[in-house]
Amino acid sequence: MPEVKLVNVSKRYGRIKANDGINLTIKDKEYVSVIGPSGCGKTTLIRNIAGIIHPDEGEIFIDEESVSNVPIEDRRIGYVFQNIALFPHMNIWDNITYGPHVRGLPQQQTRPLALEMLDMIKIAARSEAYPHELSGGTQQKTAVARALISDARLLLLDEPLGALDVKVRTELRYELRRLVKDLRLTALHVTHDQEEAMSISDRVVVMKKGRIVEAGTPVSLYTRPQHTFTANFVGEANFLKGIVVETTADTSVVDIGSGVQLRANRGKETVDERVIVVFRPEFAVLDKPIEVNRLSGKVMDVLYSGSIIRVMIKLPNDETIAAKRIASFDKPMYDVSESVTISVSPDNVLVYPYPEEGLKKALALE
Amino acid sequence: MGFGSKRTVSLSSFIIWCTLAAFFVLVLLPTFYLISYVFLRWPEVNREVFANPIIGDENWNQILKVLFFTFRLSLSATLFDLLFGIPLAYVLARKKFPGKSLVEDVVTLPLVIPTSGFGFATLVTWTTASGIGGVFGSSSGAISLDTLIPFINVQALLFIVHVALTFPYVVRTVETKIQSIDPTFETASRTLGASSFTTFRKVLVPLMIPGVFSGAVLAFARSLGETGATIIVSGVSSTASIAIVRWTAEFKLATASFMGSLLVIIAAAIILPVEVYLRRGKRTLRFSSHFPVSLSRQLLRLERFTSGKLARIKDFAPLIVVVVTVIVPIIVVLNSVILFWPADPYTGKLEGGVFYQLFGPANYFNHLLQATLTSIVVALISTYISMCVAIPLAFIIERRWYGSFIRSILKVPMIIPTSSLGLSVLLMWGSSGINLLSTGIWLIILTHIVFSVPVIVESIIPAYEGSDIQTYEDSARTLGATEYNATEKVSIPLVKGGIITGFILSFTRSLGETGATFVVMGRNVTVPALVVNMVEALAIPAALFTSTFLILLALIMLGLIRVATRRR
Amino acid sequence: MPLVKLVNITKKFGEIIALDNIELSIEDGEYLCVLGQTGAGKTTLLRTIAGLIRPDGGEIFIEGELVNDVPPEERDAVYMFQHFALFPHMNVWDNVSFGPSIKNWDNEQVKTISSEVLEMVRLSDRQDAFPSELSGGMQQRVALARGIASGAKILLLDEPLGALDARLRVDLRRQLRRLVKDQKLTAVHVTHDQEEALMTADRIMVLRKGKVEQVGLPSEIYSSPKSIFVASFVGNANFFEGNVIEMDNSGSTIWIRGDYQIRVSQTDRKVGDKVVVAVKPTDVIINPDSHKGKNVFSGMVDSSTFVGGSMKYKVIVGDGMVIFSEALVSNIQELPRPGQEVTVSFHPARCCLFEYPEAGLLKEIEAI
Ligand SMILES: Nc1ncnc2c1ncn2[C@@H]1O[C@H](COP(=O)(O)OP(=O)(O)OP(=O)(O)O)[C@@H](O)[C@H]1O
Ligand SMILES: Nc1ncnc2c1ncn2[C@@H]1O[C@H](COP(=O)(O)OP(=O)(O)OP(=O)(O)O)[C@@H](O)[C@H]1O
Ligand SMILES: [Mg+2]
Ligand SMILES: [Mg+2]
Repeated sequence: MPEVKLVNVSKRYGRIKANDGINLTIKDKEYVSVIGPSGCGKTTLIRNIAGIIHPDEGEIFIDEESVSNVPIEDRRIGYVFQNIALFPHMNIWDNITYGPHVRGLPQQQTRPLALEMLDMIKIAARSEAYPHELSGGTQQKTAVARALISDARLLLLDEPLGALDVKVRTELRYELRRLVKDLRLTALHVTHDQEEAMSISDRVVVMKKGRIVEAGTPVSLYTRPQHTFTANFVGEANFLKGIVVETTADTSVVDIGSGVQLRANRGKETVDERVIVVFRPEFAVLDKPIEVNRLSGKVMDVLYSGSIIRVMIKLPNDETIAAKRIASFDKPMYDVSESVTISVSPDNVLVYPYPEEGLKKALALE
Repeated sequence: MGFGSKRTVSLSSFIIWCTLAAFFVLVLLPTFYLISYVFLRWPEVNREVFANPIIGDENWNQILKVLFFTFRLSLSATLFDLLFGIPLAYVLARKKFPGKSLVEDVVTLPLVIPTSGFGFATLVTWTTASGIGGVFGSSSGAISLDTLIPFINVQALLFIVHVALTFPYVVRTVETKIQSIDPTFETASRTLGASSFTTFRKVLVPLMIPGVFSGAVLAFARSLGETGATIIVSGVSSTASIAIVRWTAEFKLATASFMGSLLVIIAAAIILPVEVYLRRGKRTLRFSSHFPVSLSRQLLRLERFTSGKLARIKDFAPLIVVVVTVIVPIIVVLNSVILFWPADPYTGKLEGGVFYQLFGPANYFNHLLQATLTSIVVALISTYISMCVAIPLAFIIERRWYGSFIRSILKVPMIIPTSSLGLSVLLMWGSSGINLLSTGIWLIILTHIVFSVPVIVESIIPAYEGSDIQTYEDSARTLGATEYNATEKVSIPLVKGGIITGFILSFTRSLGETGATFVVMGRNVTVPALVVNMVEALAIPAALFTSTFLILLALIMLGLIRVATRRR
Repeated sequence: MPLVKLVNITKKFGEIIALDNIELSIEDGEYLCVLGQTGAGKTTLLRTIAGLIRPDGGEIFIEGELVNDVPPEERDAVYMFQHFALFPHMNVWDNVSFGPSIKNWDNEQVKTISSEVLEMVRLSDRQDAFPSELSGGMQQRVALARGIASGAKILLLDEPLGALDARLRVDLRRQLRRLVKDQKLTAVHVTHDQEEALMTADRIMVLRKGKVEQVGLPSEIYSSPKSIFVASFVGNANFFEGNVIEMDNSGSTIWIRGDYQIRVSQTDRKVGDKVVVAVKPTDVIINPDSHKGKNVFSGMVDSSTFVGGSMKYKVIVGDGMVIFSEALVSNIQELPRPGQEVTVSFHPARCCLFEYPEAGLLKEIEAI
């Protein structure tokens, strides 16, 4: 069964370390996403696994077997590209049957397979069409079908939805997951869209500058990120600088300036340590603040995105934080300059040591 | 919103009209004049060609024979180019290897090399003791001037020269085409289980067919019109372009022009349909393989089996073609000049040495100086005028709705055999036409403009299309630049590489052109023509020296092209 | 007087009608987003305003003046391409000062303006860099600076964030809006991302197949869509087909298949009409505090998806009525899981009622 294992994989391009000591295991039938800012080495990682490039160091195992000497065409992978790459000179049918054909499968065996595929992605009626006659979404579905038909055991997807409209993108991502799960495949999906990664994967890998920052389930990455970079990259977060003033067995108290203090579940921090306090806007309760961790401030701005409102609040220490709430019409709206109080449960306050390179650098996306 | 636009609008359209007028008079008119000449003077042509009072239709028979021979030669050379050129183009487009830029330069060399000098170098290499024969200890050459290649009945030497000179057209065109094909298609094919040979056959070949066609067309046209090298190695047989030179020299103008027109019409008949086909939409050929299934499966298995093993051979075998046909002659001729410098190394005679011939009583050195001066003046003036027409013309082609039409007619001067062209210019401007100019330097310049303009345009266009000029220009316009400003400040700097390459290509082409020059030069001999004269006068050492001189000049030019294109 | 006014603008490319009778006014200082799918005609619209495309019919006014025949360089509208189109042969400074110097302003003025604008986008220290040496976000800022320096009053932004990472986009869209507002510019911003439009725009225009589908405030577009297409495109509504069976002053009751009744506040249909009811997933509340009210259904969570910050549920009510719900996550532990019984409800005022489309519902909402 396909279990993919990367041991210490590195790849350099000149001075750039595109992959720098990657260790990663993808379990059988797992749907794993890799996210990270542009240029962090996601494509390089996936190309290493596919065998399009060869790592300078380290080794890749598929099914416990090293694939260093296995050429691309024998690795039994399906590869889906951002730019779709359907052969423009072949119609949909020829595109889909390309894999079995070049592997020398007899026609009578190919036909039912292809028909099944066409059925699955619901374009059987258009099998005579050429790629440019189809919409982007349909083209990408065809490309997935083409990759899957030749008996692939591992599906590699490099920003498969990147070239599509947002609306199509969101619809197609669920179809992708369904397909992978129905066919009981293992999938590695590269994207820079954290929402996409969260909503379809079993596990998400966060990369930065050629290295893996951390990996975990969507929920754990969201609620308990191990690094400030992840906290910022995956979802929105408020970052406040502070100093630990008190610790007990299971809580720490952090002073974030102007006498405002926040209580958090205890991590490794010690008294007097410089730290960063992080909490998510949706965990900042606007309506019925609880007794602990109250923060008061002035409303700076109110932003709508559909039915969620985002209230920007200036704290006494001059830092601005965001809080989110559903815009429900039986609750009061906020006016700019109005004073409000929010609260955050200590469970949802995360404390990180102050990054050596400075907060801005640690969070940088480019 | 002001009124400033009127001035610049009229400036743009003034430039456009001037360019189009110059293009029409300088480039188009001469190439069509020949054909109209034949029609207008049909009785004269008829009498000379078909109903000569003395020899009857002997001239017609001659024409047929020459044409048939020429086509055999051009076609076989083109096929050979394709066979070896496509793999080489693939390697250059897709692979990285040390020394790649050197290989690219060597492949480009024949484009800039003066053909008569190169022809002579090939002659020396294959038929004399100082060439390949000598290496194997023979006292004569490896082959003789009239060794025939079996089956196609073409002299081996002629074939070699034509392959060398046409090879870059195939390689370069196909290489550019392959570079424009997204490599993801190949990766996709590999991940779907196709071996690299299968991928090449089923994905790359259908996608690059347009490039193969245009490359083949260019190579074929070049071979059809080649004069400089051919005149030196042809021996007894005669290709169409040489026949024109000879007949013009013998004042058989009617026969020559009839032959010239035939050549133009036939070339156009072969080439233009391909052009039209390629231009009509960006379609690619769709192969539905009607192979029997079992055969196709065996082919797949074979491809899979050989993919790993033969890849290297497939990659590098074509290089041998370049080495043998281009590098070896150059080395031989350089070597020979040194050998022959003081005296003939075989007989020991001083008169057989380069030094004696150059500075002795014949004083070829003086001739060479004179010819060099003529050549450089011609090349500079004709390139300058051509640039003035070609740069605006390239922009007109890209911008105006009639652009693609102009680009198509621009193919005509490119495919016309140069000696026909020379004849045409001679007839038009010379005593039997407008009677404005007689043979000499100005007529050479006018001739060279005709083929220089398309050369420059064709090097600017890829640079234009490769860098998304339209977007930058639209940006500039909305930032407040007029069309004229945007062209000057944004587009021209962006295609600078293409312009410089065009300049150098046109300059070297002009420097090395023989066929047309021969017809129109009168007493103003250029260097390549001088080589031919020397060979005909059997002044071999002097020819050696002059050829070397030309080849070195070409190498310098090539260096300049590299510097110009590398800077991006 | 509106700054830009389009009257009856039409543009065809062969058979395709890229713009079909567009009417639009853009006020001075407004931030307008044009939202639409691929091929809706967004780019064509921007290019027409910029003067890079000549409309087949209709009139364009800028500051009250008819500009159909005015070339792009005199329209004071700068067009920004998705990939920024920074001149690759010029460094940042030359790019930014391109506009002022091409307009022959005097040297001192060119210098002050360019350095001011560079300061504004915080790139003064990179003025000697070439575009290829900058990151995507920086390039975007240079392109903005270049447009502002040219003295343009109108920014035409064609998917200005499309070339950037999803995460970066979120940060930059705020900056973009702030810059436009601080400089008192007018912006027309084209996008196919509804969230981007909702978050940045003063007003949104939804374009579909060359036609204006709806123009309005973000909240109007979201909460009171005028068509099924808009309801689906912006906010991904749930749709229920049914017939009006009852109507009174306070609303109508719709009978839908499976014998459910939905109460809506709207009263502009007749009893017996075939209709479509649209409800946004964000208006569907899971396990509401009180179970009284209208439109309360019990069902089972079929699947849930965590999208970071919020949770999407697919709830199946009875035998087959599917309702999608989306809720902010403020406490992960208490969230219902697949297989769990829940009640869902939505307020009648949050429902939109549409006439059943002739071509069928699917035709209106399919995206792919
Ligand atoms: N063929 C190559 N030659 C030189 N450098 C390369 C090559 N391929 C990648 N790189 C460099 O390696 C680094 C990682 O590239 P990679 O394409 O893996 O990033 P990515 O995470 O996929 O980025 P994106 O989100 O932009 O696709 C980049 O800095 C890139 O410039
Ligand atoms: N120059 C052109 N020639 C022919 N058809 C064109 C041209 N420009 C646009 N079209 C057609 O006009 C329609 C609208 O195109 P437009 O580029 O304005 O769409 P868009 O909304 O910007 O789409 P996208 O989101 O893909 O950028 C499309 O159907 C397109 O194919
Ligand atoms: Mg990538
Ligand atoms: Mg567009």
